[in-house]
Amino acid sequence: MTLAEENGINLFIPEVYDIVWSLVILAVIAVFFYKFFMPKFQAIFDERTAKIEGGIAKAEQAQKEAAEAKAKYESQLSNARVEAAKIRDDARAEASHIVADARARAEADAAQITANAQRSLESQQQQAMVSLKGEVGALATALAGKILGAKLQDSDVQSSMIDSMIADLDAKK
Amino acid sequence: MNEALLNGLALAADGPKFPTVNDFLLPQIIFPGTPFAMNRIIMVRIIATVIMLIILGISAARAKLIPGRWQGAVEWVIEFVRDQIVYQVMGKERGQRYLPMITTMFFTILVFNLCGIIPGFNIAATATITMPLVFAGWCFCQYWIAGIREKGLGSFLKDELFPKGVPAPIYILLTPIQILELLVIRPVSLTLRLFANMVSGHITVGVCLAATQWFLIEIPNKLWSILGVGTLAAGLIMTLFEILVAALQAFIFAMLTTAYINMSYPETE
Repeated sequence: MTLAEENGINLFIPEVYDIVWSLVILAVIAVFFYKFFMPKFQAIFDERTAKIEGGIAKAEQAQKEAAEAKAKYESQLSNARVEAAKIRDDARAEASHIVADARARAEADAAQITANAQRSLESQQQQAMVSLKGEVGALATALAGKILGAKLQDSDVQSSMIDSMIADLDAKK
Repeated sequence: MNEALLNGLALAADGPKFPTVNDFLLPQIIFPGTPFAMNRIIMVRIIATVIMLIILGISAARAKLIPGRWQGAVEWVIEFVRDQIVYQVMGKERGQRYLPMITTMFFTILVFNLCGIIPGFNIAATATITMPLVFAGWCFCQYWIAGIREKGLGSFLKDELFPKGVPAPIYILLTPIQILELLVIRPVSLTLRLFANMVSGHITVGVCLAATQWFLIEIPNKLWSILGVGTLAAGLIMTLFEILVAALQAFIFAMLTTAYINMSYPETE
């Protein structure tokens, strides 16, 4: 027991060779950890973080692109719809325009044709009247001459008679 | 006690071979008398170091982005030291500088402590005063360097020796204690806590197993075997307990080192 008691204090006295080996070993281990072990795992951790973050970013990017594409298609679709509606409206407007045009032209044509017909009718009538006037005058004169037996000498009387006759005809008509 | 029992005790007069402090004061086997002399504990330490460096070296060399089980376990320890010890105490910004140091300490102390229960080694590589003292010395240097670098020597000493918010007369008591704390208590408490834990652990397990040997094998009277079964069970339990102590002491050492270094930094809150 006395031996143990004497040695007991030696437990707490560092030996030179123990210090040497402790320092050597710790230095070796520390170099290993500082130069190889920690940087290696740090690199792995960083790479993993980067990869996870990259993956998330990529997914977000893809989602954003998809959303953009969708928005683009939707806007194109609505544009197309608007355009189609516009084309339809235009067509309808044009059609009604064409119809109205055609109708107006037809009416104008009809009116013109009617007017032409009227005019030619009138002129024909006038012509007929003029020629009739001449012929009727001559005929009536001849007739009257024959009836009266006497030749109406005075051309002034002649023409006034004819005029009054025509006025009579006109009034009768 | 009956006659036979007493006879049995008398026959094995030497008694159980209980462990003594001489288990830690071993003869120099290699290069005796030189500064490079080795005893058994130092050989255990060197072998443990070589094994640890080989295993961790292979783990690091083969480390992949997607970890396997073993790499996951190693990473778990690294992340435990990082998140639960260093970043917990110092925060990320300050802690990054000390990550390799604290990781080195934790891994090394853990492995060295575990040697105490590895069959064939049967003694912790930290079970001489010197190894814990060297670790404590490292810690000592780091907190002095940190204090001088961050505050300057004068300001560091002023903050440490004359803590703010204390009435002036108290400094008569407090300042000597703070000097002792800074120079002696911190490193010595770190050293003794680890060393004493390893010594007592070795002795506890040793006592249980020596008693088991004695009761089960060396005493002729087999009635004592019942006690031997009890001591064997106690030896098993204490061995498991030593695993816990090994990890716990590594954790405490790393934690306190981090805390001491952190105390040298100026308070910035």
